[in-house]
Amino acid sequence: MLGGLLALAALATVTYRRERITRTMSLLLSIGILTYGVIGLWHDTPWGSWAGLVQLTGLRSWFLVILGLVATMSTWYSVGYHGLRPSAHFWLPMFLFSMLVVILAANLWVFMTAWESMTITSFFLVTTHPWRPNVLKSGYIYLVMSQISAMLILSGFMMIDAHLHTAQFAVWASRASALPLATKSLIFALLGLGFGVKSGVVPFHIWLPRAHPVAPAPVSSLMSGAMIKLGIFGIVQFLLLDLGPSNHFWPWIILAVGAASSLLGVLYALMEHDVKRLLAYHSIENIGIILLGLGVMSLGIDRHHPLWVALGLVASMFHTLNHAVFKSQLFLAAGAVEQHTGSLDIDHLGGLIRTIPGIALGFMMGSMAISALPPFNGFISEWLTFRGVLDLIGPGSATLSLYGLGLAMVLALTGALASLCFVKASGLTFLGEPRHPVDHHPLPLSMVGSVLGLGIVALVLGVVPQPVLNVLYHIDPVVRIAPATLLVPLHIRVIVGVLVIGSALFAGISRVWEVRTVPRWACGRMPDSAMQYTSQSFTKSIRTTFALIYRPQRTIVRLGADAPDFPDTIVYRGKTVSIWEQYLYRPAYNTIWRVSHWSTRIQRGPVRLYLAYLLGTVGILLAVLH
Amino acid sequence: MVWFVQILGIGLMFALSPLFWGITQTTKARLQRRRGPSLWQPYWVIAKNWQKDTTVPEFSSLIFRLAPSITMAALVAILISIPVAGQVPASWPRNLLTVFFLLALERFWTGLAGLDAAGTFGGLGASRVTTLGTGIEPALLAALGIVWGVSGHATIRPLAPLLHASPARLFPWVLASVSLALVLLAEWGRLPVDNPDTHLELTMIHEATLLEYDGRFLALAEWAMALKVTALATLGWVLLGPNCRSLWANLALRLGEVGLTAIAIGVVESRFTKVRFFRIPMYLAAAAGIGVLAFYLVAGGFSG
Repeated sequence: MLGGLLALAALATVTYRRERITRTMSLLLSIGILTYGVIGLWHDTPWGSWAGLVQLTGLRSWFLVILGLVATMSTWYSVGYHGLRPSAHFWLPMFLFSMLVVILAANLWVFMTAWESMTITSFFLVTTHPWRPNVLKSGYIYLVMSQISAMLILSGFMMIDAHLHTAQFAVWASRASALPLATKSLIFALLGLGFGVKSGVVPFHIWLPRAHPVAPAPVSSLMSGAMIKLGIFGIVQFLLLDLGPSNHFWPWIILAVGAASSLLGVLYALMEHDVKRLLAYHSIENIGIILLGLGVMSLGIDRHHPLWVALGLVASMFHTLNHAVFKSQLFLAAGAVEQHTGSLDIDHLGGLIRTIPGIALGFMMGSMAISALPPFNGFISEWLTFRGVLDLIGPGSATLSLYGLGLAMVLALTGALASLCFVKASGLTFLGEPRHPVDHHPLPLSMVGSVLGLGIVALVLGVVPQPVLNVLYHIDPVVRIAPATLLVPLHIRVIVGVLVIGSALFAGISRVWEVRTVPRWACGRMPDSAMQYTSQSFTKSIRTTFALIYRPQRTIVRLGADAPDFPDTIVYRGKTVSIWEQYLYRPAYNTIWRVSHWSTRIQRGPVRLYLAYLLGTVGILLAVLH
Repeated sequence: MVWFVQILGIGLMFALSPLFWGITQTTKARLQRRRGPSLWQPYWVIAKNWQKDTTVPEFSSLIFRLAPSITMAALVAILISIPVAGQVPASWPRNLLTVFFLLALERFWTGLAGLDAAGTFGGLGASRVTTLGTGIEPALLAALGIVWGVSGHATIRPLAPLLHASPARLFPWVLASVSLALVLLAEWGRLPVDNPDTHLELTMIHEATLLEYDGRFLALAEWAMALKVTALATLGWVLLGPNCRSLWANLALRLGEVGLTAIAIGVVESRFTKVRFFRIPMYLAAAAGIGVLAFYLVAGGFSG
C-alpha cells in the first residue's frame, strides 16, 4: 500500500508538466492517504519489508485521516484553480508524501528526513509566485523559523536516543516514561519548543501570518489544515503519550501557552482586513484551543485523573480534525474569492453572495463552524474543551478551581472575539452592497464543490459526533472512559432538532419569500456603498478596549493650500504595532546581525588562517579530552 | 406529570414574554407619573407589525430575512434547556454550557443581519452587539461560575439546596446574584448598557441591527427580544432562586419571579442613565470580578 502511494507521488512529480495527469495522480494519492487512514483506524495493516521504517497506530491513523481529507479536497479544488504553476505541481505531491511519512515514521531518521523534506517542499510551494511583493521575504522567514524548529526537535530526539540507545519510536513509547525527571524536563523543553514553533503558538507565530497568505489557496489550506497539525501530533505522541507524567510544572506551561495563543491569535486576526491573513491568525487561535485541551490531558496524566485525560485527548483531537475541516474550507473559499474578484481586501469587497452564492454559503458555514456555533463541528469540540477546562473545578483545591474558571473565561472571550471576527469577515465580504466595482470571473464546479463538500463534512461531524468519538477510543489504550459518553449531557440531536425545526417553522410563518424591496435608511440622504461599515470601523471599539495589546497609532494629514483649516484632502492612516516583532524579534535580529558582523573579523579569508583555527581546535579538543 | 408541567412552563414563558415586556413599560410609566399604555400593548404592537406589508432593504439577501427566525429558534432552544418548574424528565437536555453557545448563535445572526442591511446603522449595530458580546460571554461565565463551584457540573437545576446547605455560602450566593443581575442587564440590552426605547440612531446598540426590519420580521424580532429577557430571567431564578417541593407551586413561583424581574428592570431603567459605550467593559469587568469572588469563596469553602 505504501509502495503504491510512493509510486503515485513519484508519478505525479515526474509528470508535473502535464497538468491533467499530475492533478489526477495527486488526487489519487490524497484519496489513498485517506483510505489508508480510515483502514488504519479499524485494524492494523501488515507491513512486510517496510516494518522498522514505518508504523501505524491509532493516533497516526487519526492524523492520516485529517491529512487525507484536507489533501483530497484541496487537490480536487486545484482542478479549477488558476494560481498553481508547474513548479507547484512538481512540489505538491512531494509535500503530501513527506507529510504522510512524518506521520508514519517509525524511527528518528525517517522522521527527521521527512520533516525536513516537508519544510523544503512547502517553502517552494509558498514561494510559487516569487516575483510578487513580499513573497520571498515571507518564505525566508518561514524557512528560518522551520529550521529553528527542526534543530530543536532533532536535539530533543538525540537526547532521547542517547539515553535509550535506540532510534525506534516503538521502544521510546514503552521506555521513555522511565527516564530521569531532569532529562525528561529538558526533552520536554526542546521538543515542546520545536513542535510549538512549527504549529505556530505565540510567541513563535510570526511566520504563520506571513507564509499562509502568500501561498496559493490549496497550499495554504494544506499548510493550515494539515501541516501545522503535525506539530500537535508531535506534542501528543512524544511529549504526552511517550514521556508520561513529568514535572508538575509542564501542564501549566501548556495551558498558559494555549490560553495566550488563543487569545492573542484572535485579537491579531481582528485587525486584519486581508481575508487570508485573518484566517492565518485564526489558525494560531485554534492551535491555542487545541493546546488547552492537551493541557487538561497533561494535567490528567500527572495527577492520574482518567476523566481529564479522556476529555483533554478527545477534545483536542476532535478539534484538530474540525479545525482542519473548516479552516481548509475557509482558505479554499478565500482563494475562490480571490480568483473571482482579484482581491482579498475585505474593504474592497461586499455583496458577493449574489455572484457566488455557493462560495458565500460555504464561507458562512465555515464561519459558523469556526465560531463554535451549533449545529457545526466546532461547537462539539469547543464544548468538550470547555467541559474539560471546567472539570478542573472540584473539591480538590480552590486554586485549581480558580484556574479552571479563569481558563474557561479566556476560552469564552476567545470564542466571542472569533465570532465577532467572522461576522466581520463573512458579513463585509459577502453581504451588503459591493464597495468597489470588480470583475466577476465565473468559478468552476470543482472549487464550489470542494468548499461545499467540506461544509457538509463540518455539518455532519457536528450533528452526528458520536461515531467519531468512538473512533477516538482507539487512540490511547490507557484511557478507560468511553469517549461517546462524554457527550451525553449535550443532547445534540434535541438541540439541533429544535434549531432546525424552529428556524424552518418561524421562517415559514413569517413568509420569508413574500417581501417588497425598498431603499435603505440613510437619514434622508442618498445611500451609497461608502456609508457601510469597513473592517477598520467594525473593530474600532475592540481596538480601543485592547489598546494595551494593539498600541494603535493614527495619523491624520491635512493637505492643500489652506490647510489645516480648509484642507483639500484629509489622509487618515491607522495602524497597530506588533509587540512581538518590536520587542522580541527585532532586537534578536539586530543582535544576531551585530554578532555576525563582529565575527567577520576572524574570517579574513586566507587559507592558512583557517588551517591555524583547525589546528588550534584540534589541540584544544585533545587537551580537554585527555 | 413532570413532562406536562415542563412543556406547559415553556409554553407559558414563551407566550407571556411580551406581557413581561409590558410590565416593564408600565412600571417605567408609573415611575414617571404617567398612566402608560396597557399591559398588553406589546401584543398589539406585534400584531400590528405582523399584518403590515413586509419590506427588505435593497442589496439585502436571504440572510437578512432568515436572521429573525434563526435568532428566535436559538432563544427557544435556550428556553427548552431550562427546567422551568425545577424538575425535568431524566432525558431532557439541560446543559448550561450549551446556553452560552446558543446565545453566541443568536448574536452571530443578529450581527450578520445588521451587515446585510447594507446601511450605516446596521453595521454600527452589528459592530456594537458583537463587541458587547465579547464582554458579556466571559462575564456571564464568571457570574455563573458558582454553579460549577457548588455542583461540579453544568446541569441546570435548582441550586437552592446546595447554596443554603451552610451559612458560609450565603455571602457568595448574594454576590453571585448581584453579578448575574448586572451581566443580564447587559445581555438583555437594557439600561445602563443599552436603551431599547431610544429613537436616536447613534445611541442604538441592538435596535440599530433592527432598524431596517419591518412587518413580520420586526414582529418576530420584538418577540425574540422579549423572549430573551424572559428566558434568561427564568434561567437565573431556577439556578439561584428559591425552590418549592411542588411542581405547580414552583411554576407559579417562577411566573411571579419573572414578573418581579420585569418590574425591577423598569425601576432600574428609571433610576440610571446609559453609560458611555467605552465604559461598558469596566462595567462588565466589575460584574465578572464579583462573580469570580463569589466563585472563589465557594470553591475555597469546598476544600475547607
